Amino acid sequence: MVARAGESRAARTEGRVVARFNAPRAARVEANANGTPLEVNHRPVGLVREEWRVVDRWWTEEPIVRRYFELVLESGENTVVFHDGSSGGWYTQRGA
Amino acid sequence: MIACLTIPGLELKAALRRTPSLALRPAALAPEPQGEPLLGPVTAAAEAAGVRAGMRLGEGLATCPSLALVEPDAAGAELAWEEILHALEDAGFAVDPASLGVVYFETLGVERLYGGLEPALRRALAAVGIEWDARIGAAGRRFAALAAASVARPGQVVVVADEELPQFLAPLPLTLLPLERGRYEELEALGVRKLGQLAGLPGGAVAERLGPDGRRAWGLARGGVAARVRGRRPPVHVAASFEFPEAVGNELTLRRALAGLVETALARPERRDRFVRKVALAARLESGGSWRRTLTLREPSADSDRIRVALSPRLAELPAPVTEIRLELVELTEPTGQQLDLLAAGAEDRSRLRDGLRQVRASTGSGSVCTVVEVAPWSRVPESRALLVPKDE
Repeated sequence: MVARAGESRAARTEGRVVARFNAPRAARVEANANGTPLEVNHRPVGLVREEWRVVDRWWTEEPIVRRYFELVLESGENTVVFHDGSSGGWYTQRGA
Repeated sequence: MIACLTIPGLELKAALRRTPSLALRPAALAPEPQGEPLLGPVTAAAEAAGVRAGMRLGEGLATCPSLALVEPDAAGAELAWEEILHALEDAGFAVDPASLGVVYFETLGVERLYGGLEPALRRALAAVGIEWDARIGAAGRRFAALAAASVARPGQVVVVADEELPQFLAPLPLTLLPLERGRYEELEALGVRKLGQLAGLPGGAVAERLGPDGRRAWGLARGGVAARVRGRRPPVHVAASFEFPEAVGNELTLRRALAGLVETALARPERRDRFVRKVALAARLESGGSWRRTLTLREPSADSDRIRVALSPRLAELPAPVTEIRLELVELTEPTGQQLDLLAAGAEDRSRLRDGLRQVRASTGSGSVCTVVEVAPWSRVPESRALLVPKDE
């Protein structure tokens, strides 16, 4: 789970603790049996524009396995969510 | 090591300096005049009688009919706290005050000066003095230091080594976490009453149930992040006060007195060419208590009219007639802060931007202004591409 890894490592620059830009934020997502989001934070999904996977850092103790979805909500808003394979949680993320 | 010095109930102790005999009797800090009727910190005798800080006034008086109410002395408490911070700075500690009665400092620089960690912390307690019942916790992280200070007795130093941290934090109550009152109740309803129980839950589940605040609290329950303590820039002391021959409640008179104070404070030689960034207006009330409000100006100014206009609405908040009014220039710009360049137009913009950022920092605190630094723009993981670095200067 990357958010946890980000905290435990406490990224530092010039000795000062910094925060990660575009860090994932926990989201409440309802998905169908295939794992495709139907609702994000109680707002219905209008369209799935794209779907992709990110598998990274598999050689570390905190591997990343994510299934990303770029969505258009029925309200017209664009958003990107991902399902984290390690924790099983859903997150929204900017900059993806 | 990061040390956290705390003085529980500082407001009450400061107010009791005027009536020391109450310190041994059941007494509590009276509620703020325009706030909720909740009791402030209480004395040990009041606690023994069943009165707790945060209790409703009526409940407190019903629990202990002999409970004495002490008028809050906000200005006195601020002044006392500033004296304590000065005493620590004079002893060589670069302090980072978090709130009234809680201050952090790094021990690394002073350990050699005083011959080790514990002697340095003892020196800090000695600098504060015994009348405040200060206590110190020290650990590798800020939250752990605060937690250690919360279990220390008055005058005691508690040091927690990194390897002992999880065992130390586990039995401590959730109230140490900066959460809203409703959140504690929500967690208690779920059977989570100790830091160790919260730390043992999966982070994702906590974030999903309690949101970002809960996630932050979960991080703190696991010790928090390793952040360095940055000592504050010692504040300037430019102040002017006016004592009335008798208590005054008339707003026109108060406005005239304020206008005179602004002129006097701006004319003080310590201000020299510097502009005013933040001011505080304090008053001694007829009833014996005090009142204090701070204000960050929208932009630094040395214009007496502008400062007067910004402060005047605060006079309407005074809860009672006053016997003394005091104006403090809490934060000033650098002497060259407003110097405009003659030729380079871009430099003026940068200078104004820098000054605007300082203004935001003065208003919202250190670390509130960040800059984005790219570290791995090629990464497929979005949060690994850039970091937010606090831009303190």
